[in-house]
Amino acid sequence: MPQSADRILDHAPLFREPEYTELLARKRENFECPASTADIEAQSEYSKGWEYREKNLAREALVINPAKACQPLGAVFAAAGFEGTLSFVHGSQGCVAYYRSHLARHFKEPASAVSSSMTEDAAVFGGLNNMVDGLANAYSLYDPKMIAVSTTCMAEVIGDDLHAFIETSRQKGSVPQEFDVPFAHTPAFVGSHVDGYDNMVKGVVEHFWEGKERQPNDTINIIPGFDGFCVGNNRELKRILNLMGVKYTMVQDASDQYDTPSDGEFRMYYGGTKLEDVAAAVNAKATLSMQHYCTRKVLDYAADKGHMTASFRYPLGVSATDELLLKIAELTGAAIPEELTLERGRLVDALADSQAYLHGKRFAIFGDPDFVSGVTRFLMECGAEPVHCLATNGTKPWVEDMEALLASSPFGADGKVWQGKDLWHLRSLLFTEPVDFMIGSSYGKYLERDTNTPLIRLAFPIFDRHHHHRFPLWGYQGGLRLVTTILDKIFDKLDADSNEAGKTDISFDLTR
Amino acid sequence: MMKDKVQHLFDEPACQKNQANSEKERRTGCSKPLTPGAAAGGCAFDGAKIALQPVTDVAHLVHGPLACEGNSWDNRGSGSSGPMLWRTSFTTDLAEIDIVMGQGERKLYKAIREIATRYRPPAIFVYSTCVTALVGDDIDAVCRHASEKYGLPVIPINAPGFVGSKNFGNKLAGEALFGHVMGTVEPDDAGPTDINVLGEFNLSGEFWMVKPLFERLGIRIRASIPGDARYADIAAAHTARVNMVVCSTALVTLARKMQERWGIPFFEGSFYGISDTSEALRNTAALLVEQGVAPSLLDRAEALIAEQEASALARLAPYRERLAGKRVLLNTGGVKSWSVVSALMEVGMEIVGTSVKKSTPEDKDRIRALMHDDPHMFEAMAPRDLYKLLAAGEADIMLSGGRTQFIALKAKVPWLDINQERHNAYAGYDGMVELVRQIDLAIHNPVWEEVRAAAPWDDAGQLTAAHSESAGEGDPSKEPAASAYVARHRKKFADTRVDNTDPNFLAHHRKKFAGAAGDDMGEC
Repeated sequence: MPQSADRILDHAPLFREPEYTELLARKRENFECPASTADIEAQSEYSKGWEYREKNLAREALVINPAKACQPLGAVFAAAGFEGTLSFVHGSQGCVAYYRSHLARHFKEPASAVSSSMTEDAAVFGGLNNMVDGLANAYSLYDPKMIAVSTTCMAEVIGDDLHAFIETSRQKGSVPQEFDVPFAHTPAFVGSHVDGYDNMVKGVVEHFWEGKERQPNDTINIIPGFDGFCVGNNRELKRILNLMGVKYTMVQDASDQYDTPSDGEFRMYYGGTKLEDVAAAVNAKATLSMQHYCTRKVLDYAADKGHMTASFRYPLGVSATDELLLKIAELTGAAIPEELTLERGRLVDALADSQAYLHGKRFAIFGDPDFVSGVTRFLMECGAEPVHCLATNGTKPWVEDMEALLASSPFGADGKVWQGKDLWHLRSLLFTEPVDFMIGSSYGKYLERDTNTPLIRLAFPIFDRHHHHRFPLWGYQGGLRLVTTILDKIFDKLDADSNEAGKTDISFDLTR
Repeated sequence: MMKDKVQHLFDEPACQKNQANSEKERRTGCSKPLTPGAAAGGCAFDGAKIALQPVTDVAHLVHGPLACEGNSWDNRGSGSSGPMLWRTSFTTDLAEIDIVMGQGERKLYKAIREIATRYRPPAIFVYSTCVTALVGDDIDAVCRHASEKYGLPVIPINAPGFVGSKNFGNKLAGEALFGHVMGTVEPDDAGPTDINVLGEFNLSGEFWMVKPLFERLGIRIRASIPGDARYADIAAAHTARVNMVVCSTALVTLARKMQERWGIPFFEGSFYGISDTSEALRNTAALLVEQGVAPSLLDRAEALIAEQEASALARLAPYRERLAGKRVLLNTGGVKSWSVVSALMEVGMEIVGTSVKKSTPEDKDRIRALMHDDPHMFEAMAPRDLYKLLAAGEADIMLSGGRTQFIALKAKVPWLDINQERHNAYAGYDGMVELVRQIDLAIHNPVWEEVRAAAPWDDAGQLTAAHSESAGEGDPSKEPAASAYVARHRKKFADTRVDNTDPNFLAHHRKKFAGAAGDDMGEC
């Protein structure tokens, strides 16, 4: 065998050794009834054409590689943004293990959440007992300040009533009478993680605000939305607000929870919005959302409470950040400090320095509705051309929004909005109408391999690159990071296309 | 010795500007004297290196401390169609002890030996630098000796940085080619339509956009010096019938000397601009006919020119609409200003100024002729003045080299790099279409709107009156939470069906699953 103690091969080279390649080829030939190489080739070619694209886009029943996750993932992320809060997902435990691994793989941090571990008998008789026992165990085992309850499909299909269950548990002594247990129904078969985020944040504020008399003051609330870059983004946002001297409450802030230091102490709960601050936030003058499609219901609720509301769509770049700062200034009367004006000038300078490399480059973008909207706007600001804008979890109003956005700039003329489409659809789009680059999550790497479209990783989840989420994309400083990330890929591609000695290296230039 | 050479080079009969000077002025040099304390361009070494490095199959060995080679290596994107040895960085990397102990010559000899035995190049060019010239290393002797020993040409390039400006270094490089290289090889295929192109650097491979035009006329480029040149071709350059000088300030002396020694007539021309490219083809053909080529060449040249001009103008037409009336400031060094001027005027652009720093009186006349009323020519412009002019909004775009582009940006004006560090090929008919396309892209990049606009708040960071007026109109996200807005907002999202707390919706879903047993769900 090729493996020996003297020379241990990693799995990648090991299975390329002749013993294995022969074995796998034999297995394929003798036991897998393979189609001929020619047939596979032909089918592969066929899948790249317009005819296949039409069939692909006409697909109704099947979804292949959806670019979205389910509601409870959003709820678990949302809960991580509140002080001392344990996510308790009512339903089957396997689901919860998925949310934990999903978050841990992206943030490279432990992600704690518990479930009520419903089993078959719970499915038949209802999950009340699991809720009663589960809350009691979670409370005594993990010592949270608050337990945020969401649900998996299982609980939703049998129709468990969270409110009643939690009150029953309270009466049965699972948690103390005054203990905070906000909840949200988050069925995975409705909407996506952005709605789960919305529902959970609304569940939390509703829990603290309902029945409270509002005593208006001049603070503002900011809800960041579901964001894989929350670590960098929220910190940058807070820096900006502090520079402006604004009184604010971040309602939901997971930036510390997903970026704990390695200093010998395990912090199961770290950072997050203080519970008393959440309660006091009802008195705010206004509630702003950084991501409109993550917060529709919670903003409605804040408006009902008498808050002024405004929402942004993952603001990126100069003009979107301008709008954000102007809105904050308008609501609070705060001045925009010189430091931010300088940062703005620097970002404008950077964009102008690099404009020739961004100008006219064509992009495919996929991800959550707000993200796609924010990136589209930024690209057009740089003179790049968004071509395929795809959000599996986009809604009709999002499509209208996006179409208006694309129509606002000549650089959006070739842009098409794809709502409810998946990454297999995007594959057809990339083959039939190729673009220069693709912006999205790690899942885009398979499209990159198939279609040779370089992938720029800027959206949750990023599993196969480390630490990007620790740097901001928001604000003028974030804009620098954003344009640098995009440019790095552009230059890498330029170099890769011109680095073959004696063949293509005529433009393998030192200076670009 | 160096002093004689300098004096000799300062006297250039083929240079009108030089001849217009009095003898006394000529003695002080034709290049602008260097001004201590003022920002300046590169040195003579840099000039020599720039002028020779694009010779692709030669090993370029810099005799001096490492930074002379490190800083000059590959700082312009010449293209090679074959050998890549020119891009390998060779230096003797002199250190303190070498200088103190006077070991420079020995080290140089060893370096030559290593290159000769390991790479076997057709030739080695050895560049002196300030340090090795100051300590008195005799590179001529080392080169001569090594050349005999290893049986290949080892050419000393005597252009240490302190002898003068970059431009002067170009001349010294030409002097080295003339003195040591040209005429050393007799080719067996010399033909009646062979020409040389002097001062063509093949930046971004742009000479390859012109070369096929000559080939269509049956004209062979014996040597393009230095861009994409081979040593043997330069060595045989004396057999060409005509020389075209592209960058006249760099290599006109070489052309004049080649005329004197080998009787090769030369003309100055340019491949920048449509009319200039045509003129270059026309002049080449005319000189070749004078040299005895059949006069039908002239007709074929005219036919080719007519075809190419028509094609280029047709391709430029669409840009006229987008660029007509746009104001251009040309702040160029090596690129001939007038040749670009005429091309830009083709698409209706307005020239608000052009630098004539390196232009001859003849150049200036041509600019005057092109820009009838008010030519706005300026000599070198100090960064401060340039900034002032740009900041006053007198130009829509500046075409310049890399060093001044950032001044344009700070003055909020788009720019296009048309100097040696550019990444696009602008030569010939195709190149001019590309230049106009790049200008179009640069002017119409949306980032300039942001560059020109101030931050949308006042100097104190407060909202402006204009903002307060516009706030609350149009964009729903800017509206206060008026009840009408809330109602509309709700309606807008009524069909999105994410409202899972809607009892009707959940009931519907439950009904959907009502008849299903646990097994039907599979692994759902």
